[in-house]
Amino acid sequence: MSPVPVPAGERTRTPVLPLLLLAALGLFILLPFAQSLITSFVSTMARDGIREGDVSLINFINLVKTPALRASILNSTFYVLLNVVLCLAAGLPAAYAYSRYSFTGDRHFFFMLLIFRVTPPVVLSLPIFILFAHLNLVNTPVGIALVHCLFNIPIAIWVLESFISAVPRELDETAFLDGYSLPRFFVRHLIPAIAPGIGVTAFFCFIFSWVEVVFARILTVTAGMPITMAINSLLGIRPDIGLVMAMNVVSLIPGLAMIYFVRHHLARGFVIRT
Amino acid sequence: MKPHDNRAWLLMLPAGAIMLTVGVVPLVSVFNYSFHDIFTLQDLHWVGLDWYTEMIRSGRFWGSLARSLLFSALVLSVQLPLGIWIALVLTKVPRLRTPVLMLVALPLVVPWNMIPVMWLDLISKTGLAGSTLAALGLPLDARFNALHTWAVLVVMDTWHWLGLVVILGFAGLSGIPNDYYRAAAVDGASRIAVFRYIQLPKISGILSIAVLLRFVDSFMIYTEAFRINAGGPHRATTFLTLDLGEEINSFTYGAAAARSMIYFLLVITAAWTFRTVMDRRRGAMQDINS
Repeated sequence: MSPVPVPAGERTRTPVLPLLLLAALGLFILLPFAQSLITSFVSTMARDGIREGDVSLINFINLVKTPALRASILNSTFYVLLNVVLCLAAGLPAAYAYSRYSFTGDRHFFFMLLIFRVTPPVVLSLPIFILFAHLNLVNTPVGIALVHCLFNIPIAIWVLESFISAVPRELDETAFLDGYSLPRFFVRHLIPAIAPGIGVTAFFCFIFSWVEVVFARILTVTAGMPITMAINSLLGIRPDIGLVMAMNVVSLIPGLAMIYFVRHHLARGFVIRT
Repeated sequence: MKPHDNRAWLLMLPAGAIMLTVGVVPLVSVFNYSFHDIFTLQDLHWVGLDWYTEMIRSGRFWGSLARSLLFSALVLSVQLPLGIWIALVLTKVPRLRTPVLMLVALPLVVPWNMIPVMWLDLISKTGLAGSTLAALGLPLDARFNALHTWAVLVVMDTWHWLGLVVILGFAGLSGIPNDYYRAAAVDGASRIAVFRYIQLPKISGILSIAVLLRFVDSFMIYTEAFRINAGGPHRATTFLTLDLGEEINSFTYGAAAARSMIYFLLVITAAWTFRTVMDRRRGAMQDINS
């Protein structure tokens, strides 16, 4: 990580205003999380033996006891991981092509990627549902994994391209002289050389697939519910908000783990190609 | 210079095939539907440009467009300066850098349909923010007071996305070589001058990515806005996508498709503007370097 320059004189002084600002920021960011955590440990419905408003583990117990909620966690994990694998598998060769060659139409293809990254899912949700119904991909996590590639493949190509471009071309040339085929070069040399880039890409794909709702809803009508839809189904007329928040707290765990894994890369200036 | 080799397209095949299936094919079908009246998918009636003209003439479309533009303008004018400021502050406190970047990344990993649920819980009568505001004599009424609904939406969106601006801004700032600052110190440049003539130009490329993403995502906000107040009170927070959602839910697919195409054109315009600006910048850089 390149050191961020600080004029020598300022390094020793403890700046007060910045600390105040960061403290206010911390409060602002953490407040909604604190609220969710508190609510998840409160019984928010009248029940036998527990009064409404009591502190209790009942929400988490109910969560574990409900098969649909447990299944939704597995469904989400499955399609998110599948999506990460798909995006890496399709994104890596494409990013390599962008990094090493120019070719006819490369900029147009790149613009198309940009456009699909910024197209709102609700615009494409209906025809995707019809198409996937024909392909028998409705109500399965595979369908969601595939459709999330729409916005994650562009991201994967952007991020991977910047990491591959940082690898000197000599690496490729020596490997090819040694008789490596392209796939073997990818596995033996390129992937180890850009391992952090693979991690950062996996982080972004994981996160954007985990939080997405519009496609996940339209593609799961009767089965294969992801965690987001399981939460939606709990939000009826009189929702048990404690249970909802318990589910929310659980749904945050993978994201927190991902942030922890890439924490040192968050600040690294991966330059995104435009 | 990179060698020109069209065999590189072979490497694009997997990505191209997936994008064709989940992107291009659905887009072409939306385009086709937008010229039809659709009862069932086996029963299409050609109506030409009727859906488009009807929409362009309706006050409803222009009202929603104005609200979406206002929302994006508000969101950008809050999140950009605040995000850049925090990124600048982070350069001064090296020890807090990683924890603060992790902190601002937290809201990015929350499922989008949970964000409004969390905020509604927070501002409810018994919630931490709701009860505090009420105790201060400033009760919040996000359901019937349009101004309050707007405030909640802007604050919530800032909470959700500020981290993106901070992370991108900080990534840009940390890429500036130390020599620039030394030269500025030798010249006795003020802090404002350093920001205006060194930092801002150096991070403008990465900031324009933040502007594009923040503009498009806020312009097309759906999940979060819908749950807060379903576009109310009295359509005061009915944005473009909420209109579209209404049409899809009422099964008027032809009209929904025409609306989708118009939104897609708006999005392309934003992306095109972004690319033109980036190309100009690159051209200007090459002029300086040559």
